Amino acid sequence: MKNDLLWVEKYRPKKISEVLGNELAKTTFINWLNNKRRRKKAVLLYGPAGVGKTALVNAASNQFNFTIIEMNASDTRTEKAINKVGKPATSFVALDKFSTETKGNILFLDEVDGVFGQQDRGGIGAIIKIVKESLIPVVMAANNPDIKKLRPLKKVCQMIRFQQVRIPLIITMLRRICVMENVEAEFEALERIAQNSRGDMRSAINDLQSISEGRPVLRVQDTMFLSYRNKDIGMYETIMGVFSAESVRDAAMILNRSSVNYDDFLLSISDNLPLRYPDSADLAHAYDLVSRADVFRGRVGTENWHLLRYFFNLLAEAATVSPRSFKPFEVISPPIRIMKLFWTKSKRTKLENICAKIALKCHVSRTTAKTDIVPFVKIILEKQKSSPIISWLKLEPNDVDYLIKINKF
Amino acid sequence: MNLNDEVMWVEKYRPRTLNDIVDLNHIVESIQAFLKNPHSMPHLLLSGIPGTGKTTVALCIARELFGDKWKSFTLELNASDERGINTVRDRIKDFSRYSRTGFGDAPYSLIILDESDQMTGPAQTALRRIMETSSRTSRFILICNYSSKIIEPIQSRCAIFRFSKLDKTAMVEHLKKIAQNENLRLLDEAAERIVEYSEGDLRHAINALQTTAAYQTGVIDEQTVLQVFGEASPRQVQLMLNKALSGNFIEARKMMYDLIGQYGFSGSEIVRQMQRELLKVPHLTDSEKAELTDIIGEYDYRLTQGANSDIQLSALLAQFSKFRK
Repeated sequence: MKNDLLWVEKYRPKKISEVLGNELAKTTFINWLNNKRRRKKAVLLYGPAGVGKTALVNAASNQFNFTIIEMNASDTRTEKAINKVGKPATSFVALDKFSTETKGNILFLDEVDGVFGQQDRGGIGAIIKIVKESLIPVVMAANNPDIKKLRPLKKVCQMIRFQQVRIPLIITMLRRICVMENVEAEFEALERIAQNSRGDMRSAINDLQSISEGRPVLRVQDTMFLSYRNKDIGMYETIMGVFSAESVRDAAMILNRSSVNYDDFLLSISDNLPLRYPDSADLAHAYDLVSRADVFRGRVGTENWHLLRYFFNLLAEAATVSPRSFKPFEVISPPIRIMKLFWTKSKRTKLENICAKIALKCHVSRTTAKTDIVPFVKIILEKQKSSPIISWLKLEPNDVDYLIKINKF
Repeated sequence: MNLNDEVMWVEKYRPRTLNDIVDLNHIVESIQAFLKNPHSMPHLLLSGIPGTGKTTVALCIARELFGDKWKSFTLELNASDERGINTVRDRIKDFSRYSRTGFGDAPYSLIILDESDQMTGPAQTALRRIMETSSRTSRFILICNYSSKIIEPIQSRCAIFRFSKLDKTAMVEHLKKIAQNENLRLLDEAAERIVEYSEGDLRHAINALQTTAAYQTGVIDEQTVLQVFGEASPRQVQLMLNKALSGNFIEARKMMYDLIGQYGFSGSEIVRQMQRELLKVPHLTDSEKAELTDIIGEYDYRLTQGANSDIQLSALLAQFSKFRK
């Protein structure tokens, strides 16, 4: 077997039609690319690893004769470095645009979720600036679009979502490769490789290559040593995973593999708990465990990390209070609290200001003003719109309106 | 009672001298004894439930010591709003260090720390040293609900006065005196109702009286009083409690987030109000209330231990939702 090239490179799609799966994402991307008057100058392709984001960009530019200027995570991407490559690339339309062979340049920033930290300082800001000023299409790819730092990017980009490639499509691809490489493979073997990849085309092809190395015939038993790649499991998968686990042990295993932020996860579990347990006795039981987990989280603080195992075990128990009653449900995200607090911030500030005025005059704390005095002042103002209290407390007209309109609490 | 330009009755009828104070004879007497020779007055710790006259006593002391210019010699801080160690190190330390005896005949300056049991541990520790080193130039009056939350070294540096619930008849009389001054006829049973609902909290009672007066001029009867207390009690907390008790967890939790979001209440504040409202729920037996109180207490404790108050509150509501089934 001539094996001078990795199969993933060798069989990288040359044409758009060779990119398998994600049809909707493909069409959206092609339409965007070929539309001269595109509404947004940039797209962000996001989705799990190995589903064809980079492959699609390469295939499309190949097919439509674009030239790609690429920066990926292997390049330093500080503000300066990005400007150095990005600025000249995007501020001129290439001369050869007018020739027939090429349609011009695309700036392709791969793995933008890897623009991180001290080393890549100012990177995201520079990208946004370039996108805004760019004369050529800018394409970006990322695995997880929810990373905090990427949020500002979402505003200037059209978002295109990629999903895991379906298993039958992966099998089709693997068979095609087997034919080209003269490997005789049992269908079950390919099926197992495909399933094991969990929708990641690249890892499936890599597995196929490593297993068939030195074997002219590939049997299902040859694939037995394949183990799940330890994928980074995101919030959604972790929650669904622990809630559908059959036992505490399974749930704990999923938690161990997951890399979600503990505090976000705890909140997320709490938000989704009532969807998982419609029965109020189960719910109360689960919440009791979650609450105890939170107590341990409090005790962990910033030093007693060994206590974290109790935190995890309690959460795993909470997720498996009654495994038999599991039914699929829609996961709530983002956390309710963040949504609520965001929408009510201005209201809260207003009330705080009023309470500060009352506190000053009545020799009480702002909290006492809120609980013990505001309710009375509200009624008095409702009854006497021009009460002398208004000027005495130095309330503005809109403070008065606000107090009258506020819900009773 | 001298009148002035204050508008809220709690302020308008706040006693200006120790002699005006109702129903605190033993406390007033010992403080008056101190004031005969101001230098003999130690730091004071006034502790007791809300609305029993602690702040009033402190302000009266300031007036008796400094006369009309009391504001220039007094630093009044509400520790629950400014409770960190920085306040202690900056504002309190600066104020206490400089002698103001050069101006007039004030013996020292006065620092009133209201709700001082809300001060953080480190802040209290920082305060302790200042109380000692500045005793030549200033006196402290610490006011708190629970003296047990004040660290012992501070307690041992203070003369402690405990304020208990005000006597009901004294409160009724006080309300009537105010009503008379405002040209209102306050019926006996209305006054008694106000006092009963206020549970020994005079501030609450006076606020309620003023609010009823906004409803109606002339005569105040029991009916109006009931109406005011119905509207002024924390309705949202009540609703949340009822939703939870009827098993509707999701609605109850939505209301909880409203309380946090719209009003900015802290977790422990919500728990405190739930406890207050629980006692008023009509359709629960006493033993059920006791059981629920026990649950509230447990989660109040976890709140202090845990990392996230939303979770503890949700968990508490979940226990309530189960309770009736």
